[in-house]
Amino acid sequence: MTCEEFGRVLPELEGDHHNSEREEHLKTCSSCSGLVSDLNAISAEARLLVEDQEPSPRVWNSIAIALRQEGLIRDPEVPALLAGSRLRGWRLAWLRPVAIALVVGAALFLQLEHIPRGAPVARQAATSTPVLRTDGVGQDSAIDADEVQLLNLVSSRAPAMRAGYESDLRAVNAYIRDAETSVRNNPNDGIAQQYLMNAYEQRAMVYEMAMKRALP
Amino acid sequence: MRPEKSDLTDARKSQGNRLTEAEAIERAKQGDEEAFEVLYRLHKRRVYSLCLRMTANTAAAEDLTQEAFLQLFRKIATFRGESAFSTWLHRMAVNVVLMQLRKKGLPLVSLEETMETEEESPKKEPGAEDIRLAGSINRLQLEQAIGDLPPGYRMVFLLHDVEGYEHNEIAEMVGCSIGNSKSQLHKARMKLRELLKTSRAEKATQP
Repeated sequence: MTCEEFGRVLPELEGDHHNSEREEHLKTCSSCSGLVSDLNAISAEARLLVEDQEPSPRVWNSIAIALRQEGLIRDPEVPALLAGSRLRGWRLAWLRPVAIALVVGAALFLQLEHIPRGAPVARQAATSTPVLRTDGVGQDSAIDADEVQLLNLVSSRAPAMRAGYESDLRAVNAYIRDAETSVRNNPNDGIAQQYLMNAYEQRAMVYEMAMKRALP
Repeated sequence: MRPEKSDLTDARKSQGNRLTEAEAIERAKQGDEEAFEVLYRLHKRRVYSLCLRMTANTAAAEDLTQEAFLQLFRKIATFRGESAFSTWLHRMAVNVVLMQLRKKGLPLVSLEETMETEEESPKKEPGAEDIRLAGSINRLQLEQAIGDLPPGYRMVFLLHDVEGYEHNEIAEMVGCSIGNSKSQLHKARMKLRELLKTSRAEKATQP
């Protein structure tokens, strides 16, 4: 078998390690054995690729809205004895959006106050894109005391959800930190500012979803 | 299809949080929102990673992830557990992506498939050092090179080498012959080899 012949049959031999002609050629041809070794290495490495990318919180939010609209999510039946407390919950329901708005507004105000205006930083050619990751990068982003309290509330009503929301908060805080760095480095960059606003919106969305889990 | 990479771990994690995947499925069938969310959280990374690699576009990948989960949740009442839930979901996600690409008129297999390439046999350039990749492939470089593949090659490579589907399954999903799937995969790997070698050579010349 020549190298040319080997190259022609190679696609068909994929995964077949018992072809005697092929094995014979590979023993005597370092070029073809190098090629096969490289292709196998690529294939082996591809199997190890991990799922470290995280969709933004808006994905679950949209799914939940659609499921509710389609009637696939049903409200749990409330026993008659609890009907009164449910009514009280309904009466207090207006507090939720107000609380969210306050939290988001305060966060925005504080974050914007922390960003030095007109910092003498040279504008870079391109703004780096912050990405939500779950592979440990940026996972050192602390969650503050209010967020811990929110997680405790989530935990008290839906224990299975706590770890998920904690992970979301850490990821979104890391995203905000990266976005803030971009804005600091490029204070006049509209795209960087947009990333930062997106990051705040995502955190607001995580707060909102967590509060839905936490409140009766 | 080979066993799932992360599902067992995720299922155990879920047990630690008092709700197993099986329990979540049963509760989701009753319309329990928390159960839907548990299932979403268990599988979102895998589905999203698949969509992102296939589309190389964050917004499109998020839309497709949403669509895949919605389709799954709409049909969850019909899930009887004959296959693993993750396998069922994953197949659905692949179909959602393929359907979307078809809608956009993008080729699922490369249009270059009938062209004879010069890459079929290894090239030897006189005097050139033959760089070997084995044992030194960087994950990030590989991810980047996959993103640089022509869409048709990328699809088959992702389905076979990353997601673990067999050629007969890919042929059925994509709508091509088994031989075509094998050919596309080989060309994808050859292209990746070329891209990785170029990337390494460029890195070597950088100061």
